[in-house]
Amino acid sequence: MKTPLPTLFNMNNTVIKFTNLTKKFSLQKQKTFKEFLPALFLGEQTKNNFIALDNISFKVKSGETLGIIGPNGSGKSTILKLIAGVTAPTKGKVYVNGRISPLIELGAGFHPELTARENIFLNGAILGLSQKEIENNFNSIVKFSELEEFIDQPIKFFSSGMYMRLGFSVAIHTHPDILIIDEILAVGDPNFQQKCFQKMEEFKKNGVTILYVSHDLDTVIKFCSRCLLISHSKLIADGSPIQICQQYLKEKTNPSF
Amino acid sequence: MLAIVQEFQSVIKWRELLWQMTSREIKARYKQSILGYFWVILNPLAQMLVMSFAFSVILRIPTNSASHIPYTLFLYTALLPWNLFSTSVTSSAMSLVNSAPLIRKIYFPRSILVISTIIAKLIDFAFALTVLIIFFIFFKIPITLNLLWVIPILLTQLIFTLGLSLFFAAANLIYRDIQYLLALIISLWFYITPIVYPADIVPNRFKFIFQLNPMSVFVNAYRQTVLGGKSPDLFSLFIALIVSFITLSVGLLYFKQRENTFADIV
Repeated sequence: MKTPLPTLFNMNNTVIKFTNLTKKFSLQKQKTFKEFLPALFLGEQTKNNFIALDNISFKVKSGETLGIIGPNGSGKSTILKLIAGVTAPTKGKVYVNGRISPLIELGAGFHPELTARENIFLNGAILGLSQKEIENNFNSIVKFSELEEFIDQPIKFFSSGMYMRLGFSVAIHTHPDILIIDEILAVGDPNFQQKCFQKMEEFKKNGVTILYVSHDLDTVIKFCSRCLLISHSKLIADGSPIQICQQYLKEKTNPSF
Repeated sequence: MLAIVQEFQSVIKWRELLWQMTSREIKARYKQSILGYFWVILNPLAQMLVMSFAFSVILRIPTNSASHIPYTLFLYTALLPWNLFSTSVTSSAMSLVNSAPLIRKIYFPRSILVISTIIAKLIDFAFALTVLIIFFIFFKIPITLNLLWVIPILLTQLIFTLGLSLFFAAANLIYRDIQYLLALIISLWFYITPIVYPADIVPNRFKFIFQLNPMSVFVNAYRQTVLGGKSPDLFSLFIALIVSFITLSVGLLYFKQRENTFADIV
C-alpha cells in the first residue's frame, strides 16, 4: 500500500486535464461492401458524424473523488475511455498522469473457459501487472473476492456477481493512482458492496484519485468530493455533489434536457 | 523501419501480457475436449494422409526429379509450414474482433493480440513437427548442416506472416467481409504454392509467379534444405526477404494508422 505522505505532498497536482476536448465518432452507415459500394457510386453519404463530447474542459487534482452523472448516452463513458487512453480525442487535449486502473465493465479481460486462478493472472497482466506482482498479491486477491472454493473452476460457471467480485479484487490490487469505476457496483450483494465502499474509502485516505460514474445519486453525494454533470455531450455543471445532484433532479423533469 | 523498432520495444515492455495472452490462446482452445492438444498433431496428419492418397496414388504427382523421397514426406515438409502460415493469418484476422470488449475498455499495444496469436500457432507448429521428425528417422533421411537453413527461412516466413496478419486484423475490424475474402485468398493461394506438387514441374513462363510469391520460395527452400540436404536458392530467398520486409512495413503502417480508432469502430 502507498504511504500517505508523498501523496499529501502532491495534493495540488493536476492528474487529469481535459482542454477544449471534442470527440466525434464517425459511424459508418454501411457496414458491408454490398451496401457500401452502391452508396459510393451514387454519391450518398457514407459516414454519419456523431458528437460524443463537445468542447469539454476540466481538471482533476490528485486525491479528488470525482462523481460524473448525467442521462444515458450523454458521454460519460466516453470521458472514461479518453482517460483510459483507449480512444483519442478529435480536437483538444487530454492529459493523464499516473497509473490507471479501469473498473469498466468488469471482466472484460476474462476468458470464460479458463479457471478463476488463470483469469486472475490474465486480467492482472492486462491491467499492467507483472507475473511477480500478481503472485505476491494472489492470496489477498482471492481472499477479498471470497471465491476460495471456486478458484479452480472455469469462470463460465460463475454468476455475474461472482464475476464482479473477481474483477474488482484484481483491479484494486493494481495499486492505482487513478481508479475508474463505471456503474459496476450495481451487481453483487449488499455485503460485498459494503466491502467495496470500505476499500474505496481506504483508497481515498491514501490519496488515490477516483472517478465514479453512477446513476445512484445518493452514493455520489455520500462518496464524492466533487461532481460533474454531463448532458447532450456538454459539461453542464461542475461543483459540490449535493448542489449538482439537485440541479440534475430538477432539470431531469425538463423534457428538452 | 523505425516504426518496426518502436513497436518491437513497446511489445517487449508488455511481454508479461504477451505471454499471458499466448497461454490464454493455448489453454482455452482445447478445454472441455478429450483429445486436447493431440488435435494439433492429428489434424495435419489426417490432412497429409488424404492428400497423399488423392495426389500421389490417384493423380500420381512426382516428388522431386532425381530423388527417392516418399510423397507423404515430400508433402508434409511443405504442408506444416503452410499450415503455420495459413492458420496464423486467418486467426490473426479474427484476433482483434474477438477481443472487442478488451479493446473498448483497456489500453495496451493492440499488436499484442496479433503477435500472441502467431506465437500460439508457432507452438502448434512445434508440436506437429514431432511427427515429421519421427518420419525422418523412419525413412532414414540424412541429417546435414544445411538443416540449419531452416532457422533463417522460418524467421523470414514469420516476418511475412506478421505483416499480412497485422494488415488483415486491422482491415477486418472495419469490414467483416475481409475474413471471408481472406478465406478465399488462402484457399486459392494453396494451389499456386508448390505444396502438393514440386516447384520444378512448373512451366517456365509461369515461373515468375513463384518467384514473387514468398510462400512458394519458403516451401521450396524447406524442401531443398531438409529433404535435399542442399543449400537453398539464395537469390529467391533474398527477394522473399525483401518482399517480407515490405509486407511488414505496409502492414504495420496500416495497423498503426488505425490503432487509435479501433475502440470506436470495433
